[in-house]
Amino acid sequence: MSKQNTTGAEKASELETYHRSIQRLPVTLRPSLNQQLAQWGMLFPFEQKQLIGFLGGLDSFSSAALTALTAKLRALEVRMGVDRWNFSETSDTLENASHLARSEYFAEWRGEVQRIFEAIVARAQASAKTDPERNRLILLFLPDNLPVDPTTAWKQWDPQGREIRIAGDSRKLRDLVARGQSDQPGIYDLLDQKGSHDSANLWFIEADARLRDALAPTSVPAASCLSYTVLKPFRNSFLVELNSIPKDMTATDQTVSALREKDWTRWWPSELAGQERLRNFTVNLFLSGNGALIFSNAFVEWAASEALRRARPQAIVACFGMRSKPKPFTGIALFENQERISPLPDVDDPENSAVDAAILARYVWLAAGRYPEYNRAACLCVSEHLNTAYIVAPPEMNLGTSGAPVAPEDIYRWIASWLAS
Amino acid sequence: MDASRRKFMKAAAILLVDRWSRSHRYAFGSDSGPSTQKSYPKVIVVTCGGVRQADTILETGLGNIPRLYRELLPQSVFYPFMRNEGVTSHYNTISSVLTGNWQRLDDWGKTPPASPTIFEYVRKRLQMRQEDAWFISSNKALSNQIGASSDREYGPHYGANVIFPKQLLINAVVNAASEGRVAHTADRGAMQQEIETILETNNYEGLGWSASGESSSLDSNTRASVLRAIEDLVHTNAPVTGDEFTFLVSVEVMRRFAPSLVVITFSDVEVAHSGSYSLHLSGIRTIDRLVYELWNEVQANPSYKGRTTVFVLPEFGRDLDGSNTNGFFNHRQNHDSTRLAWMMCLGEAAKPSGVIERPVQHLDLCPTILNLFGVLAPDVSGKFLPEVRV
Repeated sequence: MSKQNTTGAEKASELETYHRSIQRLPVTLRPSLNQQLAQWGMLFPFEQKQLIGFLGGLDSFSSAALTALTAKLRALEVRMGVDRWNFSETSDTLENASHLARSEYFAEWRGEVQRIFEAIVARAQASAKTDPERNRLILLFLPDNLPVDPTTAWKQWDPQGREIRIAGDSRKLRDLVARGQSDQPGIYDLLDQKGSHDSANLWFIEADARLRDALAPTSVPAASCLSYTVLKPFRNSFLVELNSIPKDMTATDQTVSALREKDWTRWWPSELAGQERLRNFTVNLFLSGNGALIFSNAFVEWAASEALRRARPQAIVACFGMRSKPKPFTGIALFENQERISPLPDVDDPENSAVDAAILARYVWLAAGRYPEYNRAACLCVSEHLNTAYIVAPPEMNLGTSGAPVAPEDIYRWIASWLAS
Repeated sequence: MDASRRKFMKAAAILLVDRWSRSHRYAFGSDSGPSTQKSYPKVIVVTCGGVRQADTILETGLGNIPRLYRELLPQSVFYPFMRNEGVTSHYNTISSVLTGNWQRLDDWGKTPPASPTIFEYVRKRLQMRQEDAWFISSNKALSNQIGASSDREYGPHYGANVIFPKQLLINAVVNAASEGRVAHTADRGAMQQEIETILETNNYEGLGWSASGESSSLDSNTRASVLRAIEDLVHTNAPVTGDEFTFLVSVEVMRRFAPSLVVITFSDVEVAHSGSYSLHLSGIRTIDRLVYELWNEVQANPSYKGRTTVFVLPEFGRDLDGSNTNGFFNHRQNHDSTRLAWMMCLGEAAKPSGVIERPVQHLDLCPTILNLFGVLAPDVSGKFLPEVRV
């Protein structure tokens, strides 16, 4: 993995070495690391690099030093009775999480885990080469059909940011991002020209498919594009399987594992052909809940948050959308496919969709704030309905500081310049 | 909720209670009312899932609870700092509330509480009948194990009737939708058959209830009216909520049996797990309305008026915006946003009214209720709240 052309045998040997490193850790620290190793090919470059760095940091501890570092946690595991649990070392399971959370030592355990991780990460960082800081972008769209309340739209956002008025039609910005303008390419080509060739570096996540439709066909597979609408056949099929899970922890873990392994080929949209990593990301996204299978705006927020956590892209463009009003039984059987349980047509719920999208857009920005890579990120949240945007960016970025309305073309020019510098 | 919807819910609630009582061979004529052998106090506990203080009792949330805030809070003993120091899952929290001890159980209710519940204490010590203690819940995360503990001195023999009204509706709709039969919902006869099947064959066990007994055939007129109402429900686009149905069943139980101890758990707000903040807020507003209506029912019902204490409390809050647990979606963060709730006490034992700023815990509710019944429970960790006493 450290070399591009490692053979299969070398890779296997390298993975085995990593497994042995993980075995040096207390048992409750092993599942997530082993799970990542098992899915090595499905990890994003950032995750691979982070895992190798962490295990390098771990290997830098002598046996005595590691024993001292982990002694408290090992003692805690004895008191918790971990050896009496059906505790999986190979992957994170619901049963593992449930055992840990129910233990009276959970808070203490969590503190110890954090302390050990921080110590290992500090070692890893000490020996790691520091990447140059890059300017990053988080671009969020609240589409024109969402009547965002102008008095509360930006109230909860970072007070360091500012509202800017958009001159002309703010809807144009989405097209500019996808297609570019006469003197500038679209965002995909822009990053491609800067040497960013991994699809994990640019994400388009949307409730509908407007961005995807506006992108050049070659850009779609070259970036990470996920559309709630386009994924519908897969979502529906997945939901049926998920709803078959009995109310039992062990059975759920088994079913979740089976769903991960299942061949979903016939249900994937054509643009995800050959994109095993992105498909795997999507399966894990849906298995992790958080409404991603139920509501399009929850899908956009959770997919964007997970992309930020796992891939640390340079740019992410997320478009929220409309949800339907609950049908007669949707408040009761929310977990079901609404089309399946009611023949009634969907009716849009613009006001409440706007409430959902506004808070979830802010959640995407808050998610980015958890990672140091986004210290130099500019976040622009555009309300097409209000024809305004809220920008949180490093102080040297002066977009909209004059108070005068800014045209979409100028905003895109600013975005291009920001990502290029 | 429109009138036809409410009418349906009410009819279905009556049907359920009627069916249960028939299976237990009770008759409901004018000469045969609820158990009134002794004059026990009446206690109703309402838990409302996970809601943040910021979305309810703080300035930012008061708009969501107009009735609780304007009508009920001034006449209550109100604890603004009720802390959940236990496992912030539904089954563990409600078990802890019921037992006065922090419970650390399987989150999905595979095992009963490890120490006796208030139902068991009260029923055993006061020799109450089972229809005097009810647990009525919307929450899918619970199971019928919650009505009684695994303590050998107590256990199911002294437990509560546990019913999940929402589960009947879920079973009906999921069954109707399965195997493509939803396409036939325009066909009245086919749909009626679908629902009839659920009502007739899905006995208590299938609904996850612990009320056992012989199944009885439904009165044909009642059945027909419910079938009509459910079909109407399927064909309209008005929302139906599980909490509304749970409320109506609770009221019907109160009217039929006048139990001394009723615990109701609402859960519409848990739609937050699916990421709709607007529907979560809508769930809070529903709770506000239903608690107010419940209080009015207590005032109007002669079995309850003047002798009832009502406790209303969230189980916990929800995670903080920006947390790595995805904010309002979940309730597992070790933070005040998740651990801090509140409690409102209304009625006979909640006098004089006032705001008690002293921190209290969910565990304190159990000994406080036991005190109202005059029952001592030395093995309870919670502390009796002296502001709520008769």
